[in-house]
Amino acid sequence: MNDGSQKLDNGTTAPERRINFNTVSGLFFVALALILFAIIPYQIDKPLIVVTGSVANLPAELFPQMVAVAFLFLGIWLAVTSFSIHQVNELRNLDKEAIVNVSVTLVLMAIYVPVMVSLGFVVGSAIMVFAMSTYFGNRNFVTGAIISIVLPMFMFFIFRRVLLVELPPFPVDIYPLTNWSLI
Amino acid sequence: MIESFFAGAGLLFDPSKVLIIMTYISAGLFLGMFVGALPGFTTLMAMAILLPFSFFLDPLFGIPFLIGVYKGGIYGGSIPAILVSMPGTGAAVATTFDGPALTKKGQARKALEIALFSSVSGDLTSDIVTILLIGPIAAIALLLGPPELAAILFLALIVISATSSGVFVKGLLMLALGLFLGMIGQDPIGALSRFSFGMGSIESGIPLLPLLIGIFALPEIFVSIEKKAGMIIESTSLKITGEPLTFKEFKSCGRTIMRSTAIGTVIGMVPGVGQVVAAFMGYAAAKAASPTPEKFGKGELEGVAAAEAANNAVNGPTLVPLLTLGIPGDNLTVILVGAFIAQGMRPGPSLMEEQGAMVFAILIAMVLANILFLVIGYLCIPLFAKVVTIRKSFLLPATLVFAFAGTWVFRGQPFDLGVLVFFGAVGYIVKKLHFDVTPLAMGFILGPPMEYAFGQTIILAQSNLLGYITVERPITAVIFALTPFLTYLMWRRSARLKARFGVEE
Repeated sequence: MNDGSQKLDNGTTAPERRINFNTVSGLFFVALALILFAIIPYQIDKPLIVVTGSVANLPAELFPQMVAVAFLFLGIWLAVTSFSIHQVNELRNLDKEAIVNVSVTLVLMAIYVPVMVSLGFVVGSAIMVFAMSTYFGNRNFVTGAIISIVLPMFMFFIFRRVLLVELPPFPVDIYPLTNWSLI
Repeated sequence: MIESFFAGAGLLFDPSKVLIIMTYISAGLFLGMFVGALPGFTTLMAMAILLPFSFFLDPLFGIPFLIGVYKGGIYGGSIPAILVSMPGTGAAVATTFDGPALTKKGQARKALEIALFSSVSGDLTSDIVTILLIGPIAAIALLLGPPELAAILFLALIVISATSSGVFVKGLLMLALGLFLGMIGQDPIGALSRFSFGMGSIESGIPLLPLLIGIFALPEIFVSIEKKAGMIIESTSLKITGEPLTFKEFKSCGRTIMRSTAIGTVIGMVPGVGQVVAAFMGYAAAKAASPTPEKFGKGELEGVAAAEAANNAVNGPTLVPLLTLGIPGDNLTVILVGAFIAQGMRPGPSLMEEQGAMVFAILIAMVLANILFLVIGYLCIPLFAKVVTIRKSFLLPATLVFAFAGTWVFRGQPFDLGVLVFFGAVGYIVKKLHFDVTPLAMGFILGPPMEYAFGQTIILAQSNLLGYITVERPITAVIFALTPFLTYLMWRRSARLKARFGVEE
């Protein structure tokens, strides 16, 4: 796999003098700077009263402009110096298993959000923990099911009863988790 | 400051609170040691995920709880480092030089006990030094006005970016990105809307908690799940064997512990260096001072003591720049900043003036935490030794659920969960591309107060900024003038230390 580097005689690596991920990163920030310059006039509200002279305030767009300038110069700096930076693009070096595992987790997280909000924290989390633990190698389904239910219930109790904050409650809101005094 | 100290002691030892405080510290220590003992699960991740717990507690309970996680996590990493040569955290890497060799010699118990006693000694001493130093430094910090504060925050941000891991310019880019993210919402002077793109959810800015959990905790989880592994290690290799540590053996390590504590304490006050370098420096200094350096690396108790005392001695002093100037020295203290801000206590020069008693109560709680640290650590060593046998297949989803629950309770908005996932993905990608997210978090947190201080300076200057700074605020001018020089010095020193001790990447 090409990581933008070549083997030297002494076994170390040296970057090739060609575009690598750091060059692209530098150019990304240059592009971000240009986008910022373009949107600053439209995305920063104007004050209703403009004060000038010796009592003038710091304009709201000054710091964003300074950051845009920083993106521009630092992006160019990174792009120019990228040819002499000894780093490997670990994103490109990810193997198939890692890509699949991270992707599956991201998908499960994306599903978990609406499930937790609609079905409640305990049910949503139980599904999430069971699905994820099964995917990541658990084959003892009874243990998996017990942990999947007990863990979210415990957390629900901690948040609701100890920290006194809300988690999505339905459908186990009324009984028994919010009525611990009944147990 | 003396009055604040005694008022803080009064707050802490209030009979109606002290037991609750001790319970929360103990819980924090236990959780920290638990996570620290798990290879691949970092103290940073534990603190980020447990941060929301501190939000909803009294500051006197919540912040000591997080400090407990911090202390416990740094120590917990030494347990698998000693038993199976697998450091639970980066801070425990230097412990692997002698710890596993002692285990092979059948002296695992001695190694674990010297690690615990050295960690507690280093931590306790540095906490006391922190309490002694923080008052005078805070008194000086109180003399600073907005121009000096703006200059110091600017200097701190640049220095932290320069000393973060990786390439200097990449640290600066992450800082700029953090500053930009911190500008989304309302400007701190005129409360004008900036970069909200008509989205009501970010009219008041990107929420701090999902961002912190997202960039610090989720990438660690993603890295852990790259490989499916049922169990981190087989339990058969985790037997704690041998005789307990004798007082004579502990005493023989006394000089080493004191030396490492001094090293860790100094390192802790310097932004951007951290526990890993302190542990290596402590180890190297002990080896250099030993009459039998050839024994180091082959199972020398002093080797374990040196590394562990040094890495834990960093914990307390990192709070000195944080509480007096509002400057977090590393990613762990960034999480603490989040906890302070959520409690309405923005770290900075005015914090000691406004809430001096509470700050001292928290600092004294750190000292108290060390006593609990000793007890919990001693009693739970066998338990934490087994922690690495827990299946990752359960730990990972449990950690994720904690992250989601903690984010939800912040504001109860599904949007925040989206922010969490977004910054988790961003954090993972930039980690793989060798960008350090610590400057990003620092820029996000310190950007608005820096802009506010700068805005106040502009008003004070009455349109003559250069004249005002050079004539009326010479300290500000000196700080600005020295910024490039100090940045270069700190960068060179940090790069040398990291290169020397192999902790660059």
